[in-house]
Amino acid sequence: MINVRWGVFFLVAGLIVVIILFQWPKIKQAPKKDKWALFILFFIAWGLSLFNLQYIEGPNSILEKLLDPTFGKFMKK
Amino acid sequence: MEKGQISPLQMAMLLFPTIVATAILSVPSTTAKYAPHDLWMTPIFSSVTGFVTVLLAFKLHQLYPKQTVIQFSEKILGKFFGKFISLFILLYYIKSTGEIVRDYSEFIISSFLFKTPMVVITSTMILLCAMAVRSGIEVLGRLAQLFFPLFVIPLFILILLLIPNYNLGNIFPILEHGIGPPLKGSIILSGWFAEFFIITFLIPFLVDTQKGIKYGLFTVLSVMMTLVLVNLTVLFVLGITTSSKVYPLMNVGRYISYADFFENLESVIMAVWIVGAFIKISLFYYVVVLATAQWLNLSNSKLIIWPSAIIIVEFSFWAIPSTMKYQGYQIVVLPPIDLLIQIIIPFLLLFVALFKNWKKKKVHTSTG
Repeated sequence: MINVRWGVFFLVAGLIVVIILFQWPKIKQAPKKDKWALFILFFIAWGLSLFNLQYIEGPNSILEKLLDPTFGKFMKK
Repeated sequence: MEKGQISPLQMAMLLFPTIVATAILSVPSTTAKYAPHDLWMTPIFSSVTGFVTVLLAFKLHQLYPKQTVIQFSEKILGKFFGKFISLFILLYYIKSTGEIVRDYSEFIISSFLFKTPMVVITSTMILLCAMAVRSGIEVLGRLAQLFFPLFVIPLFILILLLIPNYNLGNIFPILEHGIGPPLKGSIILSGWFAEFFIITFLIPFLVDTQKGIKYGLFTVLSVMMTLVLVNLTVLFVLGITTSSKVYPLMNVGRYISYADFFENLESVIMAVWIVGAFIKISLFYYVVVLATAQWLNLSNSKLIIWPSAIIIVEFSFWAIPSTMKYQGYQIVVLPPIDLLIQIIIPFLLLFVALFKNWKKKKVHTSTG
């Protein structure tokens, strides 16, 4: 069961709303593609805030599993 | 997209703190685990990586002028594979920026602000850097120029003030177990020198590219000499206990005491380090924003600064539950990935580009 930290989740949501409100004059003028990119990036950021990031698998821990038997072993010897 | 220009000197002043800032603090203790008496040699070996990276970046820029690695990898490998490789490079830079921010807040919390939540320290720094990044490369260059003396002069004064505490005998025996241990230690540091590949995002904005090569190589040399000096200082003062300290330079700073009055200079080290970390994070953050915009072919990179900030803060926490775990990553994960993304991939790109050029010439001469 994924432990969702709702406080962080809503905090990030609020942050995104504030950023959009402040940047709105600029966002309005931007081309459609830029707008899409911006909202997708916001969405990724918001999605990541759902998880308890410190304790789930991430890029570093996956790479560690891959590299530990070879390079890790060599370095720890 | 970005119309600013920087001088080669500003580029050098941006790069120097970018590499040195994080390398002087925790790296001496990590390399000391491998080469307790010979840790001062490690920067000399790993600087080879730095020289190779700078030359690679300039050679690639010569073939594809005014483009960054995100743009020319598409030209070299074709649209699909180019985008694929540059996505990896982009993700690598996002991950690295997260780690640098983590490094910064880890240091501040463990040394000074014990009770402050990490996210406060991380996000205030990112907020500050976002302001710098928003202003573009020219302002970053000028900031570096402004902060460079503030970063370098206190560092050297500190080293001078420590001279009475030196125990020169700590350096012996030199190469007790042969050249193997310092070479192994230098693998870790070569990840830092590989970070010089970030120069590829700065070259297109240089006023004078030819001078840039000279300044780039000179920066590698000066970083190497600074690290040798710092490692020697740490070794002379702490001896083989270096490896048991998390931030040896901080411990060394506490040794300074003149007339019972002029002491506690570790706060100077903190100040120096925050200046360096600010420049380093700003530069990496700028590269993340620029690379994302170029990867997505956006018309303006300024808009995506804020979502990138949230993502970077999230990456500084992702899969890093503790300081111990993070130090483990620094040994097992970072060196091979740093070298793969910043040396091996560019080298393969250069190889393919040269091969393509050679083939084009051949076709040209056979038809002409």
